[in-house]
Amino acid sequence: MTESYLSIFILGGAIALAIICMSVFFIVKATRRAKQIGMDKKIIRETVRSSAVFSIVPSIPIVIGIGILMQSLGLAIPWIRLTVIGALQYELIAMNQAQTALESAGGYSQEVFVATAVTIMTLSIVSGPVFNAVFYKKYQGKLADLQEKNGRLMNTITGALLGGLLSGMLSSILVGGIFSIGSPVTDGSGITSYGEITIITLAAGMFIMGLCGLLLKVFKQKWIESYALPLTILGALGVAYALTASGVFAG
Amino acid sequence: MRKTEQPVLTRSQYNQKTHSIGRIFTWIALGLIMLVPVIYCLEAKVLPDGTAVVKSLPFLLGYLVVGLIESISYAPLLGTAGQYMSFITGNISNLKLPCAINSRSLSKAAPGSEEQELITTISIAVSTIVTTVIIVIGLIPLYFFRAQIVSVLSPISPYVIPAIFGGLTLVLVAQYFKIAFIPFVVCILICVVGNLLGFGSSLGQSTMVLVGMAVSGISTTILYKKNKI
Repeated sequence: MTESYLSIFILGGAIALAIICMSVFFIVKATRRAKQIGMDKKIIRETVRSSAVFSIVPSIPIVIGIGILMQSLGLAIPWIRLTVIGALQYELIAMNQAQTALESAGGYSQEVFVATAVTIMTLSIVSGPVFNAVFYKKYQGKLADLQEKNGRLMNTITGALLGGLLSGMLSSILVGGIFSIGSPVTDGSGITSYGEITIITLAAGMFIMGLCGLLLKVFKQKWIESYALPLTILGALGVAYALTASGVFAG
Repeated sequence: MRKTEQPVLTRSQYNQKTHSIGRIFTWIALGLIMLVPVIYCLEAKVLPDGTAVVKSLPFLLGYLVVGLIESISYAPLLGTAGQYMSFITGNISNLKLPCAINSRSLSKAAPGSEEQELITTISIAVSTIVTTVIIVIGLIPLYFFRAQIVSVLSPISPYVIPAIFGGLTLVLVAQYFKIAFIPFVVCILICVVGNLLGFGSSLGQSTMVLVGMAVSGISTTILYKKNKI
């Protein structure tokens, strides 16, 4: 495994600390503001609880991503890359890009590979934060003006973006899943996905959420509202785990 | 001594303060992120291969453009503080935004209201803390048991997003059926044609989210102008 330097771990610690400080700062600020405008404390507590519970399961693939990347980049660099803007699929593409470019340029050492890969990974993610730091204030001002002048239009734009997000995600999951039925796909990280399991997991998610809705609306089980999505994710992943462990689609 | 009560800021004044803090944190984060390759090169006493970096310029430009489009298109959904936090920590469409959508749906705050924005901020901040802490906790077992952890958990990692969106679909469809119907049909058609023509792998989730937003923007504008929504 590639060596990780202590200084990179210290830098990683500084980044994690900065991110936690920023998040705590915004929580305190938003909570104070909520109090000022008379929001119910219960809503804030509920938001904190539901967000914390929700975020546990989707964070696990990020840890797995570090495990996959650390073989080539050591432990510290994948930790940092996946704590900040990076995502596993993107990091793998950036790493492969560096490898391909180095191979075509001739021989290279592991250190040069890591230095090149991490440089390419870092440079290619800066546009989002730079946009925020330089232009976002002006852009958000225009969005706020629109909200004030024509709230209906602004809500329609927000709805359109959410509708687009949902459409894009669902179509990619559904069609990608259907087209890989009977022909599993192995990605750059070596993880194989089966179309059958993708479709069943999606359907299981919808089914469990439907059940939660039934419990809430028909049987008046109010408590389920806060835990519906985390329970859905866990239940659907339980189905996925049972199917992958049984190997029913692997043969 | 009694504290003097501070006047309640308007939403716009409050947002101005958020921008100032968000910008400071963004510059700090950018500085720290840029230090990673610098410190690695100093420690390893090597330089990145210039030819390889130059050869990667088209790839780099592609990602820079995608980052820019994402930061413009996600802004109305993430709120002011949420936008700054999300573009420092990433995992927006698979973690931060679903988490915020869930909290917003539970709170039943009016769309576009300040309440909704504050809920989004708190939700994204809590999600960021939980993820950062889980990653840090995960480092120790990963160091010692990497192979075992990866082999046990990696087979289910491709199914986390279908599990999240299976649940979220029912929540969102009820609210946005009219808006999402046309982009959904168009996205399905694009994906089917793309897969039939052999470039299905290029139509991953992140690409299709941007395609979906673009199609949805056009179809919703038409519906809005015709007063159908």
